[in-house]
Amino acid sequence: MSIDIFLNLTVRGLTTGAIYALVGMGIVLILQTTNVMNFAQGDTGMFITYLAFFMITTAKVPYSLVLILAIAAGAFVGLLVERFMMRSVRSRSHLSLIMLTLGLSLLFQGLAAFLFKTEPRLFPPLVSGDPIKLGPIILGRQDIVVLLAAIVTFGILYLFLYRTKQGAAARSISQDEYAARVLGIPTPSIYMLVWAIGSAMAGLAALLIVPRFSLEPSFMGLIQVKAFTAIVLGGMGSVFGAAVGGLIIGIVENLVAYQFPAIKDSFMLIVIVIVLLVMPQGLFGKRQQRRF
Amino acid sequence: MTPSSTRRLAVNGAIVVLVLVLPLVFRTRSSIIGYLNIAMLYAIATQGLNLLMGFGGLVSLGHAAFMAIGGYTAAVLVMTYHVNMFLAVVAGVAGAGLFGLVIGFPSLRLSGFYLAVATMALGSSIADVIKRLAITGGDYGLINIPTLRLGGWELTSETSKYYFFVAILVVVFLVVRNFLNSRSGRAVRAVRDSEMTASAMGVNVAAYKLVTFIFAACIAGLSGALYAFTISYLHPMNFGLTFSIELLSMSIIGGLGTIIGPILGALFWVMLPVVIGGRMEFLSTVIFGLSIIGSVMFLPKGLSELVTRIQTRLRL
Repeated sequence: MSIDIFLNLTVRGLTTGAIYALVGMGIVLILQTTNVMNFAQGDTGMFITYLAFFMITTAKVPYSLVLILAIAAGAFVGLLVERFMMRSVRSRSHLSLIMLTLGLSLLFQGLAAFLFKTEPRLFPPLVSGDPIKLGPIILGRQDIVVLLAAIVTFGILYLFLYRTKQGAAARSISQDEYAARVLGIPTPSIYMLVWAIGSAMAGLAALLIVPRFSLEPSFMGLIQVKAFTAIVLGGMGSVFGAAVGGLIIGIVENLVAYQFPAIKDSFMLIVIVIVLLVMPQGLFGKRQQRRF
Repeated sequence: MTPSSTRRLAVNGAIVVLVLVLPLVFRTRSSIIGYLNIAMLYAIATQGLNLLMGFGGLVSLGHAAFMAIGGYTAAVLVMTYHVNMFLAVVAGVAGAGLFGLVIGFPSLRLSGFYLAVATMALGSSIADVIKRLAITGGDYGLINIPTLRLGGWELTSETSKYYFFVAILVVVFLVVRNFLNSRSGRAVRAVRDSEMTASAMGVNVAAYKLVTFIFAACIAGLSGALYAFTISYLHPMNFGLTFSIELLSMSIIGGLGTIIGPILGALFWVMLPVVIGGRMEFLSTVIFGLSIIGSVMFLPKGLSELVTRIQTRLRL
């Protein structure tokens, strides 16, 4: 392939990767602190996007307001999930917590299909217009928005985790929940905060990426699988890892899809199994010591 | 006999009679029996998953892949190589078991989320592989798979399949129950509760994890092979991540770690949309989601806990 095609594929892959990174960062934030793999992350966003769709097309609410409302709705869902579902079963096995998120994901899918039907809808992009040309590289405007959103979100998460008291508390819980409680960290409210931020990111992510696909109850399914693989590649433990993992997967996937279109989807899955077996700590995770 | 054991005998007898006469009740509506047949096939597959997750503590998000391998192996052997149907089913079971061994290997090193993602990845890539192969019909799926034949007797009617599946279901469930009550079954449960304790007691943790995976895969493979000869149609998309999660949902709703859970879960899963009716099809998805949340929060052993509570209330 020529260098122009290669550059275009890489940049295009970067924007795809930004999608995975956006979804993955929300999942990993929750996973890191509360130890719950949130299978409902994608579908929380999907459901909020449906609400946003009707606000934009039927109620003619300005796009910027809808964006803020979607983030707020995500945060609200996160609060409810933590307060009324996770908290009461936290003492049970991790499996129960994961199953709760699976149930939630089914609930959102069912509600969306039941209330809004399943035919795909076209979601208007935040910014429209001709693609932008940067030398040989052609970039869609919405793709740039997604890329910027991923960078900004990463920055905000970084500031939250490393520059605020609550962020430090969240990190200390992820190291040792019991010790954090002993030191007087109000774990219940930190859990609620983390769920709120993580789910708010679900709303934002889904709303920004839906114009590249079409709005239907299952549109987040494959994206969430890719986000999971991004998290594994990044080492499961860090927001930074999830972001970089997402970008790598996006780029590699785009290049593979160009050269070997047939194995596009299974390629990454195979890679992830190999990563898990050869270096389960991922690219940026700390090697887990086996405790005896 | 005490009054309570008499009552229990009466209820159990009533259930057996009900199961046996059900086809006669729905003689004019064989579609109902068809749905029950599907539910029984799902129950068999779910029992494998239940063995793996409920009793073995090993997460699998790729269980549908075992069904796919069982089904495709059996169907291709019969259609392309004209193998005897019974042998084809056996080969399907063996093929699924072999794949269970392959998927089981990651479980020796991984646990929790890592195992969930690994099985999810392996499970979804199987559907992709099947799609690329010519012998499996690729993206068009495999059509016109012959119906089940038992010796010289072809099981064409839903009722004959029904009785056959009831028999298979009972055998599978008895095998699983006896396995769980055996020395090996106790070892599997010990590994679930604490790997360290189990290995200190002399249980070979790695071997038992692999055995659990192979056993669970074989059961799902049997279900898949029977499914192929019942539905007469296989498509790779039907065995992707969605169906794996459906099987998982059935076992959660029925009750993970209980013997009758898979039957209850599969019946609920298949029959609820039928009861609700086609036009409200997605209402059942809402109810499934709520049922999973409800059973995790209030009934950790799912529908089977409900049954136990009713039994206690009625002092059976």
